[in-house]
Amino acid sequence: MIHTKVNNKCRQIRAWLYNATNRYFGPEAHWLQKHIMNCPRCQRRFASYGRVNLALSLLKSQPHQNDLLIRSNTQAIDVLKHSLRNIPKAQKLRTIVPEPMLAVRWKKCAYTAVSMTACIMVVILMKIGIFTSMDKFQTKSQKIIRQYYASNVGQDLADELFPENPEKPHAKNPDGTLTA
Amino acid sequence: MFGKALSYDSQWDFANSQSVAENQRWILSAMQNHGQGLITMLWRLLANEQDVCDAYQNTFLQLAHHEGGKKPQNVKAYIYRTANNVAISMLRRRIIERKNLNKPIAAGDTFNSPAEEFDSKDLQENLRSCIAQLPEHLRNVITMRDLAELSYEQIGRILGISAGTARVYRCKAVRLLTVWMCKEEKL
Repeated sequence: MIHTKVNNKCRQIRAWLYNATNRYFGPEAHWLQKHIMNCPRCQRRFASYGRVNLALSLLKSQPHQNDLLIRSNTQAIDVLKHSLRNIPKAQKLRTIVPEPMLAVRWKKCAYTAVSMTACIMVVILMKIGIFTSMDKFQTKSQKIIRQYYASNVGQDLADELFPENPEKPHAKNPDGTLTA
Repeated sequence: MFGKALSYDSQWDFANSQSVAENQRWILSAMQNHGQGLITMLWRLLANEQDVCDAYQNTFLQLAHHEGGKKPQNVKAYIYRTANNVAISMLRRRIIERKNLNKPIAAGDTFNSPAEEFDSKDLQENLRSCIAQLPEHLRNVITMRDLAELSYEQIGRILGISAGTARVYRCKAVRLLTVWMCKEEKL
């Protein structure tokens, strides 16, 4: 248990160090950009890095035909043993269509889910707020009216009209009997 | 008597084939689990659909015949490494052919404006040929990280190295690619 905790801490520190190093020594660091502006050699190096990155992005951006997986699976299954070719799983693989990764699929729904959660939270907060303020409003208004009555009509009448504890209309005697 | 022996033989063959199918079902499972990722990596590396199909077929054929049909300890690692090697061999062959013909090979089927297409295709082919020249340990990391889009942890597990080492290898590979691509451009 302790070992796991230490490992987690290690991982956190490692991640933090990596981020900090990237922030201060990465390609977007301010001092580096400032230097590159004035150094032609670094400009050339930076441009070559950009070129490699661009080429990698271009490789990634080229889409393939949607049926490439089906064709590849079919071709690969055809050279396997007869006994393997005819089982239902192999038949299923011959018709399988590529699907986007789970993270990509959830990304689309994530925005909707977040919006819905936010709406629900707003409604809940509003409801809680309204009920709390209603209670406060009721208590305060009762106090004001009681004060008004006390100053104009008299304390006794005000006490009679607006009792201190409205929930307990009948006070309990020490011996347990009720009084009106 | 002879007919009876024949029927026993056919029954034995059928039972044997059934057991083979049972024993090698994991090949189909591997195809189902890693096929899509493998196709993506091969397509980005080869950019030719027929070559992708051939490399894919070759990979699974090698997997099926690995030590007489034995399942490797780490199937994913075996598949990715084999596919990588097969694709690089094909790529190298293609580069030699291109050098012999002394003209660029048409890679994909997509169409852009002629100037743009030439430039981007040239850049991609240039990168591919540079990747094919990289040392094996650096090449494996860059193809798995940038073309197969695996995480450093996954790459580490596949290649039997740590994630940090994989990061260092990628950095070295990019540095080498930068130098080589600049040289090729000057030529």
